[in-house]
Amino acid sequence: MFPTRLLRSTTVNANEIAHFSKLSAEWWNERGEFSFLHKMNPVRMQFIREKLLETAYDEQPEEAVDAKKVGILEGLDVLDVGCGGGLLSESLARVGARTTGIDASESNISIAQHHASLDPRLASNLTYKHAPAESLLTQSKRYDVVCSMEVLEHVDNPSMFLKTCAELLKPSGHLFLSTISRTPLSYFLTIFMAEKVLREVADGTHTYSKYLKPSELLEFFQLYRSSLPSSVNGDSVQTQSRPWITRLYSGEPTRKEAEVRGMIYNPLSASWVIAPRGAWGAAECNYLFWVRKPALNDTL
Amino acid sequence: MLLYTNAPRLLSKFLSSTPPNRLVRCLSTIHENYDVVIVGGGPAGLALACALGSKSELQNVLKIALVEAGELSRVHNWSSPNGSFSNRVVSLTNASQAFLKDTGSWDYVELERTAPVKEMQVWDGVSDARITFSTSELGLSSTGQSGMARLIETLNLQRGLLRHLHAMPTVQIIDKSRVQSITSDETPGSWPMVHLDTGRILNARLLIGADGPNSPVRSFANIPSYGWSYDTQAIVCTMDHPPKGPFLGPNTTAYQRFLPTGPIAFLPISATASSLVWSTKPALAAALKACKPSVLARMINAAFRLPDVSVGYIHNRILEAHEAGKPLTEEEINAEILWREQSHSINQTSAYSSMVPEASIESRIPPSDVELVPPVVTSIQPGTVASFPLRYNHTETYVGEGQGSRTVLVGDAAHTIHPLAGQGLNLGLGDVECLSRCITEAVMRGGDIGAYTCLLPYTQERYLENHKIMSACDKLHKIYSTSFGPLVQLRSVGLEVLNELDSIKAAIMMSAGSVSRKNNRVLSYNSDARTTMFNVAAKGVESMNTAAHVARVVRDGLTGLAADTLQTVAKAANSYHQARKDVP
Repeated sequence: MFPTRLLRSTTVNANEIAHFSKLSAEWWNERGEFSFLHKMNPVRMQFIREKLLETAYDEQPEEAVDAKKVGILEGLDVLDVGCGGGLLSESLARVGARTTGIDASESNISIAQHHASLDPRLASNLTYKHAPAESLLTQSKRYDVVCSMEVLEHVDNPSMFLKTCAELLKPSGHLFLSTISRTPLSYFLTIFMAEKVLREVADGTHTYSKYLKPSELLEFFQLYRSSLPSSVNGDSVQTQSRPWITRLYSGEPTRKEAEVRGMIYNPLSASWVIAPRGAWGAAECNYLFWVRKPALNDTL
Repeated sequence: MLLYTNAPRLLSKFLSSTPPNRLVRCLSTIHENYDVVIVGGGPAGLALACALGSKSELQNVLKIALVEAGELSRVHNWSSPNGSFSNRVVSLTNASQAFLKDTGSWDYVELERTAPVKEMQVWDGVSDARITFSTSELGLSSTGQSGMARLIETLNLQRGLLRHLHAMPTVQIIDKSRVQSITSDETPGSWPMVHLDTGRILNARLLIGADGPNSPVRSFANIPSYGWSYDTQAIVCTMDHPPKGPFLGPNTTAYQRFLPTGPIAFLPISATASSLVWSTKPALAAALKACKPSVLARMINAAFRLPDVSVGYIHNRILEAHEAGKPLTEEEINAEILWREQSHSINQTSAYSSMVPEASIESRIPPSDVELVPPVVTSIQPGTVASFPLRYNHTETYVGEGQGSRTVLVGDAAHTIHPLAGQGLNLGLGDVECLSRCITEAVMRGGDIGAYTCLLPYTQERYLENHKIMSACDKLHKIYSTSFGPLVQLRSVGLEVLNELDSIKAAIMMSAGSVSRKNNRVLSYNSDARTTMFNVAAKGVESMNTAAHVARVVRDGLTGLAADTLQTVAKAANSYHQARKDVP
């Protein structure tokens, strides 16, 4: 565990870490506590993949993009914040990303490391680190893609956490989040049903008041401007980028700036699906969020 | 990368420090890592290797090996003179063919040695109630090469798949290697190790059992299965017969008669040769196999033609003769059949006569009932008579868990089925198509292809699908293996009614895969096949004439059923009174 001094300066919640450390041995049991996450993983990867492909199609001539290529993330630096047992990190590394997984729980990291060592494919481009996200800010390394899946609802100070994630990105980098919205439906499904009635998820995993609505995330990035290195603009007048989301159209961001997609669990096929864009009520419970850091010259 | 990267270093260390004999042992136990190890070089295993090897997404991503105990070069170099055919023939549905075309394997198959099935005649051996399926009725184009299915020798298919595999470098074929044992570490999620009798050890991220009914992979994965053996042996052989006359269509009609002892099927493979699959009681199968080929040919002709009571009689004659150790000669069996025909007043010129037509009368106008029975078999191709027992078997799941995780079963390793509908390999190819789709999907999303979650959609999609067809075949076998009067009436009415309902017939053929499904997404139903199906269904409902006819058939059938039941009751009462009288 971290010294308390360090804890205070981070968004890590000590109780949450204790909770997940207790469960860490369960991470790779696909039929156990985390089976929902295992089933969610392909969908998250699909979202990441499709979003990266979409931006590639926007920026490159069509024939230069190979939609069937497995290694869509080949050579990109990817950070997985709150990697847990490494479910997402392993998948990212397998499609070619140079992946770093960090988690505030030491036992999670050792589980993740142990599991990755079973797969000879992962040795070359997957590393784990026991560290809170804030500690990476002191280093100069920045990432092409930062993912933080099902973490936001467990952190103490979400806006500070989002700022940290945002600052760890290179310009034009992608931030992927997935979390749970704060609605009666999400309370019913993720806490009442999942934890209390069906007991699929350990009691106390979720705290309703920590859930964030998609509109709140959008609002945050409408206001958020990343700081630019002063050397880029020699006259040092412009020190901040444009807001990450410049405008909303009836509550929806533009396709090139950000996206919210609902994720729905189908109990019959025991799998998650990504709801179509703008599907009514789809983002009332679990949702995926993507936002892109403005490019260096994109100061608006 | 996938081989242990430090193997060369380890080797040089051993070279300097170990005596030669130990060195050999160490060399032979180097573990090789593969992403996919397919055990079994049968049609299903080969098709899976081809499907995975031909996916453009998987190029240079997966390291694939196929392990086979036998020598595959024999299959690869197999050839057979024109006109003679191997005795193992399978029917490939259009769905299966479409899949093989998609993977590119179909180009390597010798098409001249295959034949389309454009019509099917199926009838009840006891009541002669008949159902016909024909391509034109199903809205498939009746012209051209395609039919509702295509008959192909298993060896031709296997050779095609092997040739395709040799044309792609991505799959390593390890033949002449028997799987000695499969082990795994205690750690959950560790890779299964396949020990070969050549000393090689393959570590598999995903171990696929395409290794047939006695699957070693299944026993390693500890997947329970349930089933029963039918008290039935299937006799197969290749039959020669004269080509159909100038007034008849080509030899593209398959025939199947449900005798109470089991179905006998006639599957056209060329103009003058057809394949036999005759399921019957083991004792009779043994007797028939012991017969001279010319006698067997007579028996086949009779089995398609004579009324059930006479078929039963000559079967008893064969059995008695076999038990007595004095097999019947051709003259004797001929005389028997002729006598039975006369007593049933079957005309010598009728198609129901088993007599081999003389060459001189071949060009005459054929009898009107000639389409109802297969051509008269003149001889059996030498060395093609064989038999095998029939079983129904279905595993409880297709994906291994716990100690047996990272395993998955396809084809006969997961399910074996009665061959009466010719669906065994088609189910296997359906598995292969789905599993290859599943694996590709998982790879694209960075999944660990050996993980339970990645393989779950495969079980979800295939298990029910297979079970549906398997139990349908099983029920058919059971319904038709009785000659109990009322039941015969019922099933005959059912069959005749079915025969009038184009829509339901179409639905049966759809689910039997006569329409190819273009299925690109996991767990999605194809809209094309559905549309065709509903179109045909709608057409069936339109015709009121059909409905009237159905009503008539049902009425007649029910009258017959009532009469039959009364008769049975009367007989029973009679024998009861008889019995009472006998008691003093």
